[in-house]
Amino acid sequence: MSQASILHVGFLTVFQEANGFVGGYLVTNNWGRPLEFRLSSAVQPNRVQQILYADTLRPYLCADLIGKTLVDKTSIPPHLLVTDTDAVLELRLKVDVPVLWLVPADDPRAATLASEPHCVRPGTEKRGPLVCHPRYLQDVESLAEILPGLQGVMDLAEPFARIREAIGEARKTGVGQKAA
Amino acid sequence: MEGPASETLLLPEITQVGLDLPVEVRVHGAFERPLTVTVRQARLLQDAPWTRSLGKLTLEVSTEGWKFPAPPVENAPGEAPPAQPRLFRPDAEPVPEPMDDTERRTTRLRPPRDAVLFKDRLLYLLQPPLENLFSGKQINVPFKPFPYQLEGIAFLMPRHAALLADEMGLGKTAQTILALRLLFHSGILQRALLVCPKPLVNNWARELRLWAEDVPFEIITGNYEARRASWMVSNCPLKLVNYELLTRDASFVEEEQVRFDVVVLDEAQRIKNRDSKTAQVVRSIKRDRSWALTGTPIENRPEDLINIFSFVDPARIPPDTSTKQLGELTREYILRRVKEQVMTDMPPKIIRDAFLELSPAQREAYEMAEKEGVVRLNEMGDTITVQHVFELVMRLKQICNFDPYTGQSAKLEQLVADMNEVAESGRKAIVFSQWVEPLEIIAQALRHLGPLQFHGKIPPRERYAVLDQFREDPTKHVILMSYATGSVGLNLQFTNYVFLFDRWWNPAIEDQAINRAHRLGQKETVIVTRFVAQGTIEGRIAEVLEQKRQLFNELIANNGTPPPMGMTQEEIFGLFNIRSRPRRAA
Repeated sequence: MSQASILHVGFLTVFQEANGFVGGYLVTNNWGRPLEFRLSSAVQPNRVQQILYADTLRPYLCADLIGKTLVDKTSIPPHLLVTDTDAVLELRLKVDVPVLWLVPADDPRAATLASEPHCVRPGTEKRGPLVCHPRYLQDVESLAEILPGLQGVMDLAEPFARIREAIGEARKTGVGQKAA
Repeated sequence: MEGPASETLLLPEITQVGLDLPVEVRVHGAFERPLTVTVRQARLLQDAPWTRSLGKLTLEVSTEGWKFPAPPVENAPGEAPPAQPRLFRPDAEPVPEPMDDTERRTTRLRPPRDAVLFKDRLLYLLQPPLENLFSGKQINVPFKPFPYQLEGIAFLMPRHAALLADEMGLGKTAQTILALRLLFHSGILQRALLVCPKPLVNNWARELRLWAEDVPFEIITGNYEARRASWMVSNCPLKLVNYELLTRDASFVEEEQVRFDVVVLDEAQRIKNRDSKTAQVVRSIKRDRSWALTGTPIENRPEDLINIFSFVDPARIPPDTSTKQLGELTREYILRRVKEQVMTDMPPKIIRDAFLELSPAQREAYEMAEKEGVVRLNEMGDTITVQHVFELVMRLKQICNFDPYTGQSAKLEQLVADMNEVAESGRKAIVFSQWVEPLEIIAQALRHLGPLQFHGKIPPRERYAVLDQFREDPTKHVILMSYATGSVGLNLQFTNYVFLFDRWWNPAIEDQAINRAHRLGQKETVIVTRFVAQGTIEGRIAEVLEQKRQLFNELIANNGTPPPMGMTQEEIFGLFNIRSRPRRAA
């Protein structure tokens, strides 16, 4: 197999907790093996920022600030970014690789999104649809080529459990406190 | 106009009324206060307007990251790994449904307590579930490992010190090979050394080809120069050596460049004698990880475990550690499962003791030998040693097998009858004995069944052909094995009957022998027959062995204080009614 067919997949999650928004980013090969991991410091917007950023706050924090920084600082460039956080989808505007959002099955938007043209794969009973950014419909095609190679090899939702566990471990051990 | 012109205009009468309303004029108090003038300074709008800062409006984030060893395939552009996920092609077969593991069991690596560095802990935490790796596309395996085997792999992989002490037959070899394979794939290992008993080298080689087809290995063998090249020059990632050669090659092992990321000791009870040359050489190997494999971590006494740990983690058990503390100190590093725990669907093992009456000639010879032997031991007074008692035991056990004068044997008669039945049913059986000579006599008695032999008199290079023939030839129903040669490492799970023609001193060795048949892959009940000559030393030894077996189980289950496993001197002397005792050292 040539180097070109080795796929690096970036899994990016941003979630809100008491200290603010925290991001974790794991780059794996196409077997799901970890190559690089990066976590962010907690970002806590103050009241004024909340008022001023208003509805754009979450997308800004998740995509522009935390997501973009994590991806930029990581040395291994991904061929595909996968996220379980809807607001991270906006990161597509800042990067040159497809961004795929795993819509939760219980998300009220799931049914609607499944019929949108930017839906890459419709959901199942237990999994929500996979969607890319609506302004990058060309990603649907490129993802249709990439994803079959990962099916049966990697569960796209599974690495997010690893990321959360790693962030938990970082807190528990007191390592990485500068960031997390 | 009608009327008014003719009528007189009547004017209303006006009466003047005097009102005389009084009017009072007062001065309002406010007007009586004198007026004052105040002056106030008013600022002109010359200053900048007043503002309040809202603070920093931009948001900032910092990050911290860790990079892990790249899997070999990542390091080797242009090289084709054996199994990689394929990319979609329009003409390819339909893609299966996506993996949906929402209800699947997952086995994850957990960093051990002694993994201090966060990066090390992270590396294991971030590994994918083992089920994903063995789901059929990433790693080729002959069959999917059982869940308990995945747990064993997850136990080994992150540990620098580990003792896998699963009961025989649960697949320690496969678990170890797969753990090594995954570590090689992850780029965590580059050099590994496997040490095993000489008779098991071929078995390991076969298992390596089966479970790790993509991991190159070499067997260290041959003359001095060949071995030197293997130790010093070869870059083969996995080397396999037997204990005897390792001991002989101690000078190579001492060389600075001979280092390994992991050293695995199979049948690690081989180093239970701490001061043996083998144990010393094994401990001297420069290594990062030390894994030991044995189904019998304690063959005789707790010191066996301490000595194994002198390799696994030399600093783990301080000198003079009490047996009470031993379990606590080692628990994190030992994984032990027995079949009953993990293989609830494995067919049962039925052990039955066949108590046989000695033939008249045997009985006569036996009584005479015991009587004379006891008299002689008693005459020895304090010059007696355990060795003298052993000699008598051996003599009596041999008579229990065969009468030395007539060759009569109650056991052989029974065995022939049983084996005829086994052969008629198309089954296969293993017969174990402590000695080679009885096996040769048995071979004669069973020659109509074409018995195969696997013991010390069979040249090592021929032994695996014997096993292959036993496995594949449907006309071969019985193989005769000595405990010393056949009790470890062999996979004979196609066999349903095991006969212990005589008993070994240690129940752990007997278990190993029995588990050649009762192991992973066995599909039917295994019937074990232990021949015991009634009213003889064999019965007495059987009692002691049974007690030892119970004690072993208690120790491994960490219930209470580990008791000693070996027969004490008093127990050995207690086998006979003798008064003599060895002289105590001053």
